[in-house]
Amino acid sequence: MTKRISIGCGSAWSDDRLDWAQELADSGIVSYMGFDCLAERTMALAQIRKREDETRGQDERIPELMNRFANYLSLGGKVVGNFGAANPSAAIDDVLRGLHSTGVSGVRVGAIFGDDVLDHVIARNLELPELGTRVRDLGERLVSANAYIGAEPIVELLADGAQFILGGRIADPSLFVGPIAYELGWSTEDWDKMASATLVAHLLECGTHGTGGNYVDPPYRVLDDIVHLAFPIAHVSNQESVITKLPGTGGAVNSGVVKTQLAYEIHDPTAYLTPDSTADFSNVWVEEVGPDQVRVGGAVGQPRPEDLKVLVGVDEGWKVVTEISYGGSGCVDRARLASEVVAKRLEPYASDINEIRYDLHGVSALFDDQLPRGEPAEVRLRIAARCQDREIADVVSFESQYLWMGPAGGGGVMTHTAPAIGVTPAFLPREDAKLWTEVIDT
Amino acid sequence: MKLREIAYSRSGDKGDISNICVFAYEEAHWETICREVTVERVSAVFGKLVKGEIFRYELPGTSGLNFVMTQALAGGVSRSLRTDPHGKSYQSLILDMEIPSTA
Repeated sequence: MTKRISIGCGSAWSDDRLDWAQELADSGIVSYMGFDCLAERTMALAQIRKREDETRGQDERIPELMNRFANYLSLGGKVVGNFGAANPSAAIDDVLRGLHSTGVSGVRVGAIFGDDVLDHVIARNLELPELGTRVRDLGERLVSANAYIGAEPIVELLADGAQFILGGRIADPSLFVGPIAYELGWSTEDWDKMASATLVAHLLECGTHGTGGNYVDPPYRVLDDIVHLAFPIAHVSNQESVITKLPGTGGAVNSGVVKTQLAYEIHDPTAYLTPDSTADFSNVWVEEVGPDQVRVGGAVGQPRPEDLKVLVGVDEGWKVVTEISYGGSGCVDRARLASEVVAKRLEPYASDINEIRYDLHGVSALFDDQLPRGEPAEVRLRIAARCQDREIADVVSFESQYLWMGPAGGGGVMTHTAPAIGVTPAFLPREDAKLWTEVIDT
Repeated sequence: MKLREIAYSRSGDKGDISNICVFAYEEAHWETICREVTVERVSAVFGKLVKGEIFRYELPGTSGLNFVMTQALAGGVSRSLRTDPHGKSYQSLILDMEIPSTA
């Protein structure tokens, strides 16, 4: 029999819904599910949670996940996810607790450690190209540093019989590349194979985007049902890779949806860099082979990058956002006047405000003045600032809210202040990130 | 006519870099898109939203273009004060570009 793996996506971000993922798990169609739980900012936020409480910093959905996936796990289904976020040990505890409380036994849990490379980025004083500075220049504002790690430890853990695998900053595609490589016996140093697996992984990793979530744009791009979407599925063998979704769900897996996901967040398509390969997607082809079935191929690979990408978390103080609406004739002029009044009142604090901007929703908030459309019926002024100190953020909020008192007709004031964590890329020699694994039997 | 009539798009972010893909609905329009949707035109459409460089890449296998724009997100999703720090809406701006009618 031809070797084949059927793998589904279970999550594309930290707050993704689990009900549709459960639907896929309970369908019996897939034997593996990959869960991406981290976006650029999520990791730094998780580090802050861990700093405040050493039992936190992991994905907060694990208890719900263990309930929803108890049946899938009891039938032998495998799970790979970066649920660990900033705290893989705490994630293991949550998984073990969940297995115990749902009465599922005999699950070998595997964990991957070593993506936290804070000590190494400090020791090497890595360059931070987007900030134009170096790590040590950040001083106490340096919050975290996590390396994107690849599929190799996942393959090792699967070979060791692990059924539930978790880690910290496992790269999004690697969550799927690992199971595909293991099941099909593909070497993690066969670069064409790694590129082929990465192509499939890239088409799965964004969850419902891969089944039409971000595709609809009437009247040009229309799908029958986008209310009840599905998480994508891949059937992969040595012969072919087919992307599909659960029958009876909404959305679509068609060539348009697959193409937009193909190009999503890649830069040079001849060199898509992941920890597992340098993949060339420029000659990738897609072919609709049935309803909601798209065959893909044509990816080739070069050796994986020598350096690992690291996201460095930076304490940016506080972000404060306040909004107020104006309507009717002259509304844009009044909103602009309001901006000027606030800017004037904040002048004494200017040196303590790192950045402030005034945007007009309905006019120029998304595209500056690049898309002029004339006077709108109403406009919402948004004042957003970053300040290192909470007290200054509170002053900005107060002065923005004081627009209640004029210019005329300003209503619907809302204000929000929250800690600001920036993340910025750096590149670390691969040998610095020493990864290790553990297995726990239940 | 607008590019939107013959092409579709999606935008993504990595740090302060925005990437926007443009795919043809019909294979027959691929050549027009390659000819009209140049770095110069895209630069004019985005104006000062993009502080850095704009690179254009081709995906001939899928009749697509990929624009990579540096310093395009006011510091990147985590630092930006923009309403749309990811630049998710940028796909709609590129599709608003006027191009000569293909009819």
